[in-house]
Formats: sequence, C-alpha cells, structure tokens
Amino acid sequence: MSEDVHKRAERLIATSNVEGISAPDREWLNEHLESCGRCAQRAAALEQVVVTLRSVSIPPDPAVVEATRRRVRVRAAELHEQQVRLRALWMACAFSWGLGVLSAPLVWWALQWIGEHLALPTAVWTVAFLLWWTVPAAGAGGVLAWLRTRSPSGEYLRGLPR
Amino acid sequence: MDTAACWFANPAWVSMEREEKTIARGLRRRDPELLDGLIERFQYRLFRYLLFLTGSRETAEDLFQETWIRVLERGRQYDGRSKFETWLFAIARHLAIDLLRRKQPQSLEALSGSNEESQIPFQTSGERSAFESLAQREEGERLAAALANLPGSYREVLVLRFQEELALEEIASVVEAPLSTIKSRLYRGLEAMRELLEGERS
Repeated sequence: MSEDVHKRAERLIATSNVEGISAPDREWLNEHLESCGRCAQRAAALEQVVVTLRSVSIPPDPAVVEATRRRVRVRAAELHEQQVRLRALWMACAFSWGLGVLSAPLVWWALQWIGEHLALPTAVWTVAFLLWWTVPAAGAGGVLAWLRTRSPSGEYLRGLPR
Repeated sequence: MDTAACWFANPAWVSMEREEKTIARGLRRRDPELLDGLIERFQYRLFRYLLFLTGSRETAEDLFQETWIRVLERGRQYDGRSKFETWLFAIARHLAIDLLRRKQPQSLEALSGSNEESQIPFQTSGERSAFESLAQREEGERLAAALANLPGSYREVLVLRFQEELALEEIASVVEAPLSTIKSRLYRGLEAMRELLEGERS
C-alpha cells in the first residue's frame, strides 16, 4: 500500500472529526480502515479523544450559581433604579430647556435693562445671558458624568456573600 | 425554493429564531426572570468553558459571575440574530482576556499555563454504574491532564467544538479568528491530544 493512501486516510480521519467528509470519502475511508490496522488504530484513537471530550461533565458549585443569581437580581434592581433616576433627570433637563427657550426674550430684556441701569458694558450682560443658558446644561452634564462613573460593574458586588 | 421559504419551512430554524428574539427582547428589558432561566440553562456549558479556558476553578467561578453581570448590563447589544450561546461565550472570553491582561500583559496562552497543575475537577455525565463512573472519571482525569498540557488556543477551540457543540463559524465568531485558523487549531489540537493520551497509555 503506498504512503499516499495512508496520508489521504489520515487527512480524512482528521477532517471527519472536525468538518465531516462526503459520502464517497467516507466509503473510501471505511474500506481503507478495514484493511489497514495502523490507520484504524489512529482513527479509533482520535474517535476516543472526541468521545472523551464529549462525555465529560463539570458542574459548577450550586452555591456559586445561587450567588450569581442573587447578584444579577441586585444589579438588575440597581440598573432599574438608575434608569428611573436618569429618566427623571432627562425630564428635568427637557423641562428646563423648554422653560429657557420660552423665557429667553424676557431674560434678554431683563439683563439688558439691568446692564443699562448699572451702566455695564454690553459684553458683560451678554455673557450673563449666555451663562443663563450654559450653566444648567453644564450642571446636568456633570451629574450625568458622575452617575456614569458610579455604574461600572464590580463596586456593587463588594460586601455581598459569595 | 428561495432562502426565506427554506427558512420558514424548517420548524427548527423558526423555533430557534423565535427563541433568540425572545431572549434579545428579555435582555433589552433586563428581565431578571429571563436571566434566572438563562443562568439555569447555560450554567454547565459556561462554567465548563471558563474552567477549560482558565484552568482554575476559582477564576472560572469569578468569571462565571462577572459574565452574567455583563450579560445583564450589555444585554441590549444582543440583537437575537446569532445564537445566544455564541454571544455568551464571546463575553466570557473577553472577560477572561481582560482578567489576564490585568494580571500579565500576555496572550490567552498564559491564561492556563501548561506548567500549572490542572485544577479541572471532572465528573461523569449521565446515569452510569459505579464501574462505568470510575472508568469515566479516570478517563476524564487523563483528559484534564492532557488538556492542561495543550496551548490555550487549541484547548479553547476543542472545548467549543466537542463539548459545546458549536459550529465552526460560531467558534470563529467567539474567538474572533478566521475560519481557517479555527480549523487549523482544531486539527492540531486533536492531533496533540491524541499524542498526549497515547503517550500516557504507553
């Protein structure tokens, strides 16, 4: 029997375990294995590796599974709470923005009046008007950023039983 | 028959597709009941994968918990188009690599060094007689020792293919490597396992 035949058999044995082989290849391989002890032994050894890999079971510790469930529930409740808080913050931001838009002409007029009354340069009360718009937005952004830094996983797990 | 017709004609595909979509919807809602069910269902597979990946029971247990927390937090990223377990294993793998990088900036190979003693505790599966259980336990311990001597990249694909029964494309997606690399690792891993097990026998 030529070496090429054994090489082909070896390749097919490996392929049959990883990707599967076509029916004609399977037929050829089976015929070869019947007549070649060395290749049959190789096929059986690989088959045994696969069978052993498939038959092994490693259960996790039930206490770990239970602790995981508990942590997931705690974290789910935390995320829900956080979501409610964020929703409230977004609503407050939207309300504040709407109010800002509606009150803009009035605020502009009021600041202009104060500026003229106190003889302030135009730039000063214009800046004051811009701050009227930007300070609340910056404040909300700061709160959102702070909430975000509090959310990474890990912090909330400390102190819980394993 | 066109693709869509084939798809809908196959009840198994339809059912799987529906199931994945249900999981995706539940994860978007961060439904604790759904997560409870998923933990129950995938606990063995996920733990086994992590144990083989890390080679340490303690590390696998920590990563097991972190994986489910991550599933809860990032659940909105799962769109239900791929199998849930593929996404789950990919998350677990990323966490394992992150952990390794924190410990030492090396590759996955170092996650369970071949010089470390394997801590993989085996248990027989299914209902068996005491003799069968003993025989399988011995076989399992030999397998653990052989796997511990394999490079992490080989061990990982062997576990995903033959224990978790993932398709080659799914393994490529979990491992984020080309299909050809996955096949090559499987061939080499199987061959290495055979040599190691035969070496032990002889």
